[in-house]
Amino acid sequence: MKIGSIEVKISVIAIAVVVVLTLILIITVVYTGDSRLLIWGIPTLVMLLLIPVALNYLSQRQYGELEPVYRSRAKNTRIRMINESMIGQVVRVEGVVERVYFQFLNRPQYLVADRSGEISVKMFTNPTETVKKGDIVEVLGTIINRYIVTGDPVINCVSIRKIKKA
Amino acid sequence: MPEENPARNSHRLMEIGVPLLSFGGAAFAVIFWITGATIDFRISILGCVLGSWVLAYLAWIRPKKDIVALTTPIYSFIFLAVPTDNLSAVVLELLYAVSLTILLVRLKYRFGRPGTALSDRKELAEPLRTYVEKTRDLWTGTSPEAAHHATVAFVRFAEGEYGEAAQRSTTAAGQPDDAGQASPLARAFMIVSEHATLVDQSLPRPAPYRTFLPEDSGMLAIPLPPAQDDDAGFYAALDNALLLLFSAAWNNSGEDRPHLLAVQSFAQKLLNP
Repeated sequence: MKIGSIEVKISVIAIAVVVVLTLILIITVVYTGDSRLLIWGIPTLVMLLLIPVALNYLSQRQYGELEPVYRSRAKNTRIRMINESMIGQVVRVEGVVERVYFQFLNRPQYLVADRSGEISVKMFTNPTETVKKGDIVEVLGTIINRYIVTGDPVINCVSIRKIKKA
Repeated sequence: MPEENPARNSHRLMEIGVPLLSFGGAAFAVIFWITGATIDFRISILGCVLGSWVLAYLAWIRPKKDIVALTTPIYSFIFLAVPTDNLSAVVLELLYAVSLTILLVRLKYRFGRPGTALSDRKELAEPLRTYVEKTRDLWTGTSPEAAHHATVAFVRFAEGEYGEAAQRSTTAAGQPDDAGQASPLARAFMIVSEHATLVDQSLPRPAPYRTFLPEDSGMLAIPLPPAQDDDAGFYAALDNALLLLFSAAWNNSGEDRPHLLAVQSFAQKLLNP
């Protein structure tokens, strides 16, 4: 679904929640015969769909604006060179996607590896293109601690794109 | 080291304490339930609460933090705050005691031993300390200026400032010894300069690339891979060069040691491929 130039996605979980709650609402209305439940029930279900869409649109727009900024500031690096002294640095790495997690939540995490090592790449919105295991990608992001204030370094990704190597 | 044994013993006692406290509390709950004692059941929950706090402490003192074990006290608060009937309390306590024990085992085997985080240490950890001490005698005659260049080059490289690391290494490398030959340290600077430039400018690997001479092998931290493995040789040259810079800097520039301690974890990572 596109809003303007921005591709917006709603997660499977959000859709599943709306479907389940719709069924519960319908069953309740049929069982109790109280159609007044629909007065607040239907708007609530609509909001449960609209709010994730709106949040996704806002995050996609923000990440889209951030990408050129990050691209101009990013330092190319090899994955093995990333360490705690680089927390806060904006980096660009290239590698192969070895694993993909939580894609269905619109909060994907990737394990990206180059010849020197591998690192976790966390994204807090869905990427602009679908990235699968085995894809060769360019990652732009900031080095952060895995658990915000502690943990090993990971990449907080702003952009992950498939690239073609000669 | 002798002074670590009392700490290690107390940690071991705490590790035993986690299942002891949590299952002990659950055992009291079972006894209260069987005997029909008319006391507040939540007294038995204290065993699980104390067990979770001990587990959280054991997770906190490890350099690598386990967020699941750290947050167990939050769940224990729920047990105190939410009233429940006696049978549910007994079942809940037993399940919680089992989960605390599983988390303890996970903590021990996946999150290492208790200790100070590398970034907080005031001295070098092993195996870096052994390597630095082993190579101490190599640096007699190295000037403090060269040692300072080594510090800056290493720290800048660790911080991802590859351009600056390349510049500093190139400056430091262009200083042959009295015989007009490039010393091992100069070779290390040249290797770091080459790699830093390649990464900074996204250049492909050159052929041939800079590497150490066979006579340098005694001072290298990482054995050189077979000649056929070009990839491994390329990266091993960089790792060895960086570690040589670290050793030269540590042994010849005492005032730069706090800066080197701050990036010690990067040096340790190089030693453990």
